[in-house]
Amino acid sequence: MLSEREIITTLDMIKREHLDLRTVTIGINLFDCVSDDLNRFIRRIRTRIESLAGNLVEICDRIGGKYGIPVENKRISISPMAAIGAPFSARELVQVAKALDDSARATGIDFIGGFTALVEKGMATGDLALIEAIPEALAATRHVCASVNVASTRAGINMDAILRMGKTVKMAAELTAAADGLAAAKLVVFANIPQDIPFMAGAYLGIGEPDAVINVGVSGPGVVKKAVDRLLESEPDADLGRISEVIKQTAARVTRAGELIGREVAKSLGVRFGVVDLSLAPTPTVGDSVGEIFQSMGLSSIGVPGSTAALALLNDAVKKGGAFASSHVGGLSGAFIPVSEDLNIAAAAAAGVLSLEKLEAMTSVCSVGLDMIALPGDTTAEMLAAIIADEMAIGVINKKTTAARLIPAPGKKAGDRVYFGGLLGEGPVLAVNSGTSENRFVRYGGRIPAPIQSLFN
Amino acid sequence: MKKIILSVLGHDRPGILAAVSELLLVNGCNIENASQTILQSVFGSLLLVTLPEDLSPDTLRSRMSATLSGMALDIFIKEFPSSLVQEPVVQPTEAFILTAFGPDQPGLVSAVSRCVANHGINISNLRAVFKGGNEPGDNVMIFEVDIPVGVDLKQVNNDLDKIAVRLNLTINLQHRGIFNAMNRI
Repeated sequence: MLSEREIITTLDMIKREHLDLRTVTIGINLFDCVSDDLNRFIRRIRTRIESLAGNLVEICDRIGGKYGIPVENKRISISPMAAIGAPFSARELVQVAKALDDSARATGIDFIGGFTALVEKGMATGDLALIEAIPEALAATRHVCASVNVASTRAGINMDAILRMGKTVKMAAELTAAADGLAAAKLVVFANIPQDIPFMAGAYLGIGEPDAVINVGVSGPGVVKKAVDRLLESEPDADLGRISEVIKQTAARVTRAGELIGREVAKSLGVRFGVVDLSLAPTPTVGDSVGEIFQSMGLSSIGVPGSTAALALLNDAVKKGGAFASSHVGGLSGAFIPVSEDLNIAAAAAAGVLSLEKLEAMTSVCSVGLDMIALPGDTTAEMLAAIIADEMAIGVINKKTTAARLIPAPGKKAGDRVYFGGLLGEGPVLAVNSGTSENRFVRYGGRIPAPIQSLFN
Repeated sequence: MKKIILSVLGHDRPGILAAVSELLLVNGCNIENASQTILQSVFGSLLLVTLPEDLSPDTLRSRMSATLSGMALDIFIKEFPSSLVQEPVVQPTEAFILTAFGPDQPGLVSAVSRCVANHGINISNLRAVFKGGNEPGDNVMIFEVDIPVGVDLKQVNNDLDKIAVRLNLTINLQHRGIFNAMNRI
């Protein structure tokens, strides 16, 4: 028999502390839809997507209702478009992006990811076309997300691709200048991209994946914060070991909720269950913030000295809890620190406590990277590439995923505010120190070799 | 073999169950099932007991009255009807937890229980605590219910929503699986 405490604690997590299933993402393999005829290709991928995901929203809502945990977002990830759409030109791939947008509307999902190229070791014809198509594809669609993997620990860092991505990010932002560069918020540059991320904008279905798979993303920064608060209220002398333990236990509970619902959705759809991605992913809502956890842990704000250590503790405890709770944990799993998507982090950045440089340091121990960071509109493509290169190096050397989602907001300067709306939030434009100076380094091109796997120091 | 249902009520204190069970033992009785609870300061226990062939329920009742008279207990013995000994027809159900939080007032339990009864839903366990005040955890009803497969959950929730509005309650109906998943390894 369940105890009253178990029942009430669980209800509090769901109803008061914003525990939700942030996303159920169906991965759809489109490799057998390939064709060199654009219309046939579009017809095939739309038929495949809409037949497999047609009931996704209805099923998620029904199962979420049964368990009393809302499935906030339903999403689709597809095989990397640069591979399956390799025969097409950039202009044709923009047409494909629009077709994906139509499929998103037809199925009622909020984002479709997989407008993706994997170019860590080199760019093929299809990759080049896709990267060229990205700015217009993202500007002309509402639901499509793009990602490009430019580096990996095994392959090194493709600096040619990074320079190209600097230009691509810049152009995507400029094409959506009236919306503060919104298109760039739907584009992520990765090192070591996982094949099974359910979260956007980085979701795509890896080539080692089955025909269809359900991956779920569970969140709950508010749940973790409250758990830490409760611990310190009942045990004021608790040390960081205890705090880590409580975060770990909380992460395990949250993961179990995600797996239960994910498996039932997968069963109802008749597809395989993939992974739970347990990520502390904030939303621009009070009480649903990663930044607030830092304050619960005794820091005056995220960004002050101690923040990197606190994030290391948090990220590791979340991963341990998730790995204990489920045998199939994947995706990004850890703590996100997206600036505009988290009220508390955005406020710390606006107050000048959190800088771009401190954020970069923190990404060496967080689960993703420089995320949802608005930069001055006059940040050059080269400087964007240099920031991306720094972030990729952190991932490649540390054998982890890192990513950059940078938005050079047209017409905005450091200290201004940008408004993206919805989950993407709003926040300050961060300064890029020495951001307009010459940067010859990124123009040399070539590949930074893959790092040595011994001599750890 | 005769079976009886024996209920014991009294002011809670150490030794009630010891006295009752010892008396059953010396009379050759066997306890098959037992449940007990304490509501504020009242002890209540329900025992399903088999009697030896040569002991009638009436004899046991009079022996218990004589032996336990000093303990101020209300003891009730009823013969267990043989019709109930047979296994009931089992309808497939799923276990849900229905929770209701809100200010204490007359009619809460009856409103919710009537609503679920109208949908053919059986209540397998109920815990309700009303301490007054506005803290949700202080005024809570937890119904464990078995919902027959095929019952329209949307309709049940609609009806519960109406009760929630009328009685100023927050009512949640959730599959038990979520509580098990999040609390049990």
